[in-house]
Amino acid sequence: MNTLTAVISGRRKLMLVELVAKVVLAFAIGLATSIALAGIVLLLAHDAQAAELVPMKPKEVQQGTLLLKSEGATLAVPAVATEAEIRVSGIVARAVVRQTYRNPYDTWFEGLYVFPLPENAAVDHLRMKVGDRIIEGDIQERQAARAQYEQAKSSGRRAALVEQERPNIFTTSVANIPPRGEIVVEIEYQQTLRYDSGSFSLRFPMVVGPRYIPGAPAEGQGAGTGWAQNTDQVPDAARITPPVLDPAKHAPTNPVRLKVVLDAGVPLARVDSPYHAIVQRETEGGGRVIELAEGSVPANQDFELTWTPAASHAPQAALFTEQLGDKRYALLMVMPPAKEVAAARLPREVVFVIDTSGSMSGSSIAQAREALELAIARLSERDSFNVIEFNSYAKALYDDARPATAANRDNAVRWVRRLQAQGGTEMALALNLALNGRENPGRVRQVIFLTDGAVGNEDGLFKLIKDKLGDSRLFTVGIGSAPNSHFMGKAAQTGRGTFTYIGRIEEVKEKMGQLFAKIESPVLKGVDIAWSGSVEAWPKRMPDLYLGEPIVVSAALDKAEGEIKLSGLRGDTPWHATLPLASARTGKGMGVLWAREKIASLIDSQRDGAKEEAVRDAVVEVALAHHLVSKYTSLVAVDKTPVRPKADELQSGAIPTNLPEGWEYGKVFGELPQGATDSLWNLLAGFLTLLLAIGLYVTARRQPLAPRRA
Amino acid sequence: MKAMTFSRPASREDWPLGVECAWPAAVHAAPARAVARSKMRRWQLWLAAAAFAFSFWQLGQGAYIQAKAWLAQLLIKQAWARTLEGEQHARPWPWADTWPVARLVVPGREIERYVLAGANGRTIAFGPGHVFGTPLPGETGNSVIGAHRDTHFAFLRELQPGEEIVVESAPALRWRLMPAEQALRRNQKSASVTRRYRVAGAEIVDKSETRVLAQRLGESRLTMITCYPFDALRAGGPLRYVVTAKAI
Repeated sequence: MNTLTAVISGRRKLMLVELVAKVVLAFAIGLATSIALAGIVLLLAHDAQAAELVPMKPKEVQQGTLLLKSEGATLAVPAVATEAEIRVSGIVARAVVRQTYRNPYDTWFEGLYVFPLPENAAVDHLRMKVGDRIIEGDIQERQAARAQYEQAKSSGRRAALVEQERPNIFTTSVANIPPRGEIVVEIEYQQTLRYDSGSFSLRFPMVVGPRYIPGAPAEGQGAGTGWAQNTDQVPDAARITPPVLDPAKHAPTNPVRLKVVLDAGVPLARVDSPYHAIVQRETEGGGRVIELAEGSVPANQDFELTWTPAASHAPQAALFTEQLGDKRYALLMVMPPAKEVAAARLPREVVFVIDTSGSMSGSSIAQAREALELAIARLSERDSFNVIEFNSYAKALYDDARPATAANRDNAVRWVRRLQAQGGTEMALALNLALNGRENPGRVRQVIFLTDGAVGNEDGLFKLIKDKLGDSRLFTVGIGSAPNSHFMGKAAQTGRGTFTYIGRIEEVKEKMGQLFAKIESPVLKGVDIAWSGSVEAWPKRMPDLYLGEPIVVSAALDKAEGEIKLSGLRGDTPWHATLPLASARTGKGMGVLWAREKIASLIDSQRDGAKEEAVRDAVVEVALAHHLVSKYTSLVAVDKTPVRPKADELQSGAIPTNLPEGWEYGKVFGELPQGATDSLWNLLAGFLTLLLAIGLYVTARRQPLAPRRA
Repeated sequence: MKAMTFSRPASREDWPLGVECAWPAAVHAAPARAVARSKMRRWQLWLAAAAFAFSFWQLGQGAYIQAKAWLAQLLIKQAWARTLEGEQHARPWPWADTWPVARLVVPGREIERYVLAGANGRTIAFGPGHVFGTPLPGETGNSVIGAHRDTHFAFLRELQPGEEIVVESAPALRWRLMPAEQALRRNQKSASVTRRYRVAGAEIVDKSETRVLAQRLGESRLTMITCYPFDALRAGGPLRYVVTAKAI
């Protein structure tokens, strides 16, 4: 018995030593393995990343400012509610936008509201309604209008001012809204509708999405009420960055009601509103009235209405004229035949550029990725391609374009799937990488640019595109719920390409399909329009037209006689058409549309080297003559009698906007880095379970094991 | 895997013990109890094995995070040397999607950190990250840097107001910001540019307080952000520890 205990206890000691040794050894092995693993993982962590960091050109890069003022405490500001009534007749629309400014406080208020309108809106009327009285707005040079407004504001009179910040961003200032009172401001505009691939579309933007402001802080063009400071690249940044409400903390604001009276003039095959639920009813005249199903919606997403004429009624040509004074203004739309022309297909070099900045975070980046995957899959083996992503930096997948082999396409798709949206929008970097300014004989070089266009330095970018385009073509794809329409249209125009919009992931296939059809078909080149008699037509030179795109031109004529002769070249096939001016129908607002087109062309001419003063004078002249708001002219309405007692103070407030639908607030306005790891937790958990394991092992060793039965 | 290593020698040695224990009395006295006990024992061994595995996984994970943070800085140091010689985006390892933008030194504490471009989770595992959209460290404006409280920015907790921080930035990186001075700077190749800051103070803020990222006209500062509290076991809390240093 004694010997037995001695044997057992001796064994036990031995076992204990052995156990401890084993545990220590195991721990050491484990630790060494983990460190070795760490090294390996470190080496392999991003092995799939084939990304080449392409060095940036020194001069273009500037650190931008992501945000300057964070969202303040809920400010006391007047509330705004918008009602829009848009009347569509044929190829033009006229809209009345009624903004009701309500002051819920006991003090006098000035309200400032930055809002979007279509990029081709010709704003020609302002009315301020006070009770039953209506005060018509006057058109004046911008400085004069502002001075008049400021004077009225300080003398206690009600006043309203509409200024243009960008072709698609406007600011309404309303002074002396009485305590618990309201002022209604009505703005009217006219626009030409987009007719493309057999469908008309009307876009009514509702919110100016937060724009990225590149450049270094600078004095710029004086004070604004926005969250951004002026910079050297965006001297009016503070005017285009209205405060934004964080949707996680605030209920949606700025309700919008919408009514479209649609008189297409032809039977329609279908009417769609892809982003908002609508209700429609027929009118007696054969038109339709379309309203939002929900009555009012928060201003956080573009409204789009598209309609397709019935097959046999697709318009081939439309000509409207309007007599104003001694001039006759004409708006001409001609649909060139979309005949299939078998052109020798040159190999393509396609450069895809995808915006991966913070504003793309959320649903936008998902749409962009999907569109890009589709586009890459569509490349043929004869083509070559490259992919560039950009945020605060720009980065290309390959150093140079590579053949679109199955392996390269797969690699690119994998790369694209991993792209995350974060950081700034240094678009100039990406354009510099994508556009090389060279001629590319023997192949067609196309740049497909997917972005929401949320930047404030559009003009600088258009200049860059113009300077570096070479014989490449730039196609923009506007992504998300509130794309910058001014950027999409003008960048594509400057880049001699075309543009499309994707607002939902379900649209990707259809919209990208349309874009591919366009870029793969021969364009209508050298379009010439010969009018009889003296004429001033805008645009001066017609751009190349892609498949499904009409010729649209505005003209001021001395007399409406004779014929309009059109010609062009699609592929190698010449095209001619003749239209008698006598066939014109009388329309309304052709004059302002002509003036709007002229202003746009004048502003564009600055990129071709025209002097700013000369452009300014020309714009002011035409804008004043046609009562149009422009970069240099504003509408102002002032009441006659002062209402605010001298003793009462006037407070001022910038009306906050919603964050566009699907955007992520933190990704746009920056977020503080997350600065912690779980390593302490891991070590502690590991140590505790190690103790537990040892305990279990030791107690288990103490118990005998039953003999196994055979 | 490890479970097998531990159970095998145990059971092999148990056999002789089992024979010794197979005393006629024991076997006959309580065979059922012995069987039950041995079953339990086997369970315990399995459990111990599982616990060992888990503990090594956790220890490995913890050690890996620390090792990665330490090792990466060595590689980034070399990339920084290349940056000083004029390379624009010197990648610390061939497939890295980040590159060093500055060297941060606290002379009083023998602290040296290489700051990387971008402050997302993937980047700051390797080093302090410069928040995109704010000026580069050493530039005019508010440069924001984030890092982990338990690795590269553990020292923030000790930092006192008045302490000096030196930021070394690369001419190559500065050129792109100052085109006018480009030609001038090219002559001083590989000469680094240093800027000194003095710690003004620290505050604890919620992660939603983006005001600390704000720029003020004509003011240069360094904002260093890490998670708070420093001793929290798990990552992901809402508080941030923000140290501000003003350029001198």
